[in-house]
Amino acid sequence: MFQLSNDAKQKVLTELTRYESKQSAVLPALYIGQKENNGHITPEVICELSKVMEIPESQINEVFTFYTMYNKSSIGKNHIQVCRTLSCMLNGSTELTEHICNELHVKMGETTKDGNFTVTEAECLGSCGTAPMMQISKQDGSSKYYENLTNESAMNILRGLK
Amino acid sequence: MSEIITENKTEKKMLNCKINGVALFVKEGSTIIQAMYENQQKIAHYCWHPGLSIAGVCRLCMVEVTGNPRLQIACNTQVIEGMDINNTSAKVIEATKWGLDFHLINHPLDCPVCDQAGECGLQDQYMEFGQYNSEMAEPKTKKHKVVDLGPTVVLDSERCILCSRCVRFTDEVSKTNELGIFNRGDHAEIGTHAGKKLDNKYSLNTVDICPVGALTSKDFRFRQRAWYLKDAETICNGCSTGCSTKVYFNKEGLFRVKPKHNAAVNGYWMCDEGRNTYKFVNKESRLLKSYQFKNNSWGFESMAGAATRNLINIFKTAKADEMALVLTGQQTVEEYEAIVSFFADHLKSKNIFHWNNNESTVNDFDGLLIRGDKNPNTKGLLQVLSKHQISTKWTDLENQLASGKIKNLVVVGPENISVYNDLELKLNLFSKAEHLIYLSSASLPQWENIKTLKYVTVIPLKTYIEKSGTFINYAGLAQKFNKVTTVVSEALTVSEFAQLAKGEELKIEYVVSENLMTSEHQRADQVVLEHRKKNEFVFNRGQF
Amino acid sequence: MSASEINTSANEIKYLSEFYHLPEFKTLEGYKKNGGYIQLPKALKMQPQEIIDLVKASGLRGRGGAGFATGMKWGFLPKNNEPRYLLCNADEGEPGTFKDRMMMEKAPHQLVEGMIISGFAIGSKKSYIYVRGEYSDSINALEVAIAEAYKAGFLGRNILGSGFDHDMDVYRGAGAYICGEETGMISSLEGLKGQPKLKPPFPAIQGYLKKPTIVNNVETLAAVKYILRDGAAGYRKYGTEKSAGTKLFSLSGNIVKPGNYEVPLGFSLKDMIYGLGGGTKPGKKLKAVIPGGSSAPVLTADEAERANLDYENLAQMGTMLGSGAIIVIDDSKCMVECLANLMHFYHHESCGQCTPCREGTGWLDKITTSILAGRGRLSDIELLLKVADNMKGKTICALSDAAALPVLSFVSKFRDEFEFYVREGKSKVKGVVYKTPSYQSDHSKLGAH
Repeated sequence: MFQLSNDAKQKVLTELTRYESKQSAVLPALYIGQKENNGHITPEVICELSKVMEIPESQINEVFTFYTMYNKSSIGKNHIQVCRTLSCMLNGSTELTEHICNELHVKMGETTKDGNFTVTEAECLGSCGTAPMMQISKQDGSSKYYENLTNESAMNILRGLK
Repeated sequence: MSEIITENKTEKKMLNCKINGVALFVKEGSTIIQAMYENQQKIAHYCWHPGLSIAGVCRLCMVEVTGNPRLQIACNTQVIEGMDINNTSAKVIEATKWGLDFHLINHPLDCPVCDQAGECGLQDQYMEFGQYNSEMAEPKTKKHKVVDLGPTVVLDSERCILCSRCVRFTDEVSKTNELGIFNRGDHAEIGTHAGKKLDNKYSLNTVDICPVGALTSKDFRFRQRAWYLKDAETICNGCSTGCSTKVYFNKEGLFRVKPKHNAAVNGYWMCDEGRNTYKFVNKESRLLKSYQFKNNSWGFESMAGAATRNLINIFKTAKADEMALVLTGQQTVEEYEAIVSFFADHLKSKNIFHWNNNESTVNDFDGLLIRGDKNPNTKGLLQVLSKHQISTKWTDLENQLASGKIKNLVVVGPENISVYNDLELKLNLFSKAEHLIYLSSASLPQWENIKTLKYVTVIPLKTYIEKSGTFINYAGLAQKFNKVTTVVSEALTVSEFAQLAKGEELKIEYVVSENLMTSEHQRADQVVLEHRKKNEFVFNRGQF
Repeated sequence: MSASEINTSANEIKYLSEFYHLPEFKTLEGYKKNGGYIQLPKALKMQPQEIIDLVKASGLRGRGGAGFATGMKWGFLPKNNEPRYLLCNADEGEPGTFKDRMMMEKAPHQLVEGMIISGFAIGSKKSYIYVRGEYSDSINALEVAIAEAYKAGFLGRNILGSGFDHDMDVYRGAGAYICGEETGMISSLEGLKGQPKLKPPFPAIQGYLKKPTIVNNVETLAAVKYILRDGAAGYRKYGTEKSAGTKLFSLSGNIVKPGNYEVPLGFSLKDMIYGLGGGTKPGKKLKAVIPGGSSAPVLTADEAERANLDYENLAQMGTMLGSGAIIVIDDSKCMVECLANLMHFYHHESCGQCTPCREGTGWLDKITTSILAGRGRLSDIELLLKVADNMKGKTICALSDAAALPVLSFVSKFRDEFEFYVREGKSKVKGVVYKTPSYQSDHSKLGAH
């Protein structure tokens, strides 16, 4: 049974009073829950949040399934998201993604066998001037942009992250 | 200019406007769709419902408003003075056709197996605005089908048009928040979270308001096609709220109950319990003939009328204080009047008792519609009793039965026996009388369990569907309802029983020959409903 | 493009971005050293209506995409005592746009000061900066800056002794382009799905929590400080009569020097591409330009070389300035592939509330993907136009129009490429071979992973 640690529960309760309405705390609370559960949210996480925040489960679930940054299934230690939208595509993001997937022996959406990398696509990440680029997020929710990539430089970065 | 109409007892200003060339007076603050709805003007719509908040998501209720080049949605545009509204121009029809087209491109071709066929929003609007060849040649989006949402409802997400009526219902009306719309874009689906059940006492209203066959009732699923059903209005007899309802039936019996809008009583909704009130009406649960228990066995089958006539002598010769009558709150005011006056005036007996099956819960109210008194006409009964100055205590009956004082006990049994948990107990009590005359619409297997039967006559009764009458609800509101159809023709109403028992003949309503064929004098199951005339195949089954 | 055809005097005007090259500008001290928090005390001594009138007179227009006159928007607020909110839209999601990110990472205080002044002008005691969830550096920078501002007394109770209270907070988004729409952002801030709300009522009357709300873009709010500094006439020194001031443009795509450039409105697009942007790569010619983010209708190379970057000129040419994201496409790229890429984007980002957008974006995605995979029919081209045409103007928000406009412009201006693809099953552009990427597993998986 998933339970929030005392620390996390405190954080959630703080969020409930931080904004103008209690409901506004749903998005931050989901981030907290996601971090507690190693980077992804399961139905138990939602049940627990619903209990702590006293907000109906279906409302929290609606928010969870709507936004892309909440992960529905477990991610590896490094969640690689290569941007695929127009400016990046014009600068070779498709070839880059193909290269990364081949090198890591995974298909889009899959995690490597050693659990180190999950590769997914993302839509415009707001880094069009430094295309192609990728965002790598960790299980604790922190993330970083890696820009102006080539096949070489991307793999070097990934090797460095192992 | 706008006038203040005081005769309506409301101070709301009325505005002039024109809808499709018809000049109308509408209340200030109404939206265009409300104005059209109240004035019986047609407009295509899915997500708007008069009992729910405005969503504005189906984008079908487009109207042209002079002065605005862009089409507006009627559900969110307020009427202003002098507004000229139009939804029949070519521009609006084209927009509605495309709005409908977008709804249909991913809709599965389930009509042959979908309950909603015949009363489906998409079918209706397609016949009105569509009739085109679909140009969608790509694979349709797939979603979950036959999802068990709970004890009463089944979900088919592919059919769902995401109008959000059901979600708004569980948020605003039942306030139980079970439903939500999950996922984004065209992968959106209605659902509950993590297998939680849609399990509240008003869940079947979501099936009513769903314009398509996405939410279907487990009770009604696959049982009958909508076009083989007629509908008629009546009052629910499940509890003392007395919601206005519509029952759907054909020669095979009744199939379902739906709420009818009544601003004074139930708004647009009814509870799930009330939807079961058709079950005890159908032939399977009914007492069809009169029987007698004599000499330790059941037999002596006869027709209800004949059995009643056989009791005339008993009524003539019995002493007033050896007679008693037991009534429940389930009969109509007219029936109470007939039988109480028979007993009080004709038989001169004031031994009339009120069988109250739920004294402890009678004042319960769940805040929405369900009340603790599971009888539709308790107030009516009490009114008639007080008119005839009857005031008795139940313990008096118990004592008189125990002492053997009562020789002939007439009991008008309840028709909705599922709410009479004390039925068997009471049957035991009643059978202490020398002669128990038990009138009931329901066939009671409970008789098997009563070992102390002496001499019992059971006479079949008609249910509330089969008679016209008046119920007085908890608030004292008298509601008249008309006969819908006849299920067991040999059964009697309580008024008919009283008449026959007096020795009179049953009055047959005399109808002037000119009026004979008008819709008022035709039984509901023989009236051709206007909107069915459009489909010429409905009443010519197999004959074309 | 010969050197003589480029206007070499057409340079950047580093108005807002004057000190972005200084790393210290990010900190409170560095900001103050370079002209920071000087306008704030000045503003607090003025009457709020004075500031609103000043902004009106300056002709400042919303820099997020709609280009609505900011002063006029502020004027819509009701004149009562209801609490009102100032929301800064930092959900920069329009493909091609990355200017707000630069400002938030390099000059968070610039935004904070602009917001406090704006908050004072509209009488708001609480403001939120809604930042898209992926911009973690921006979020950190803003949180640090806000904390510094509180400590220095620029936020909180009785700011600089003026009697004005103001609280500011950052709200992190969670990945949805639709939250860049003002009411979508308000819904998200309320802790719901980021689905836009019906208008009317408009946010200025009923917005966040049904209270009067003003939603402005990052760049718009930052500009307020400069209007105060230079006055309306001073601000109008740059730009054209109807499009006053400077704007940050994000240049990307097939260009030698992509990046953010600040130029006065009315700047020639030709100079932007060939001058500041360095033109297309050697051996490649310009084919198409999207001037205002992916939702803006595309321009052919000829049209682009005649266009000026202001609201009126681009509107006249049938496109729009939008967010100022200029995406350059050269002749080695296939327009069909570009359109399919955008259709997939809109399909992914549609919130799903209203039917024409929800179903239409999916349909457009499926048709363009079919054409791309060589399965297109000739009738598909007309179908694309019909579907797009009927998605316009029928929905709660403009995402439906944003998906429809690229379709209409791409197909009408580059119809030969579409017809070729449908007839031949492959791209007209030599060297472009589209194959379904080998890394695709389940095409239909959307949303979080």
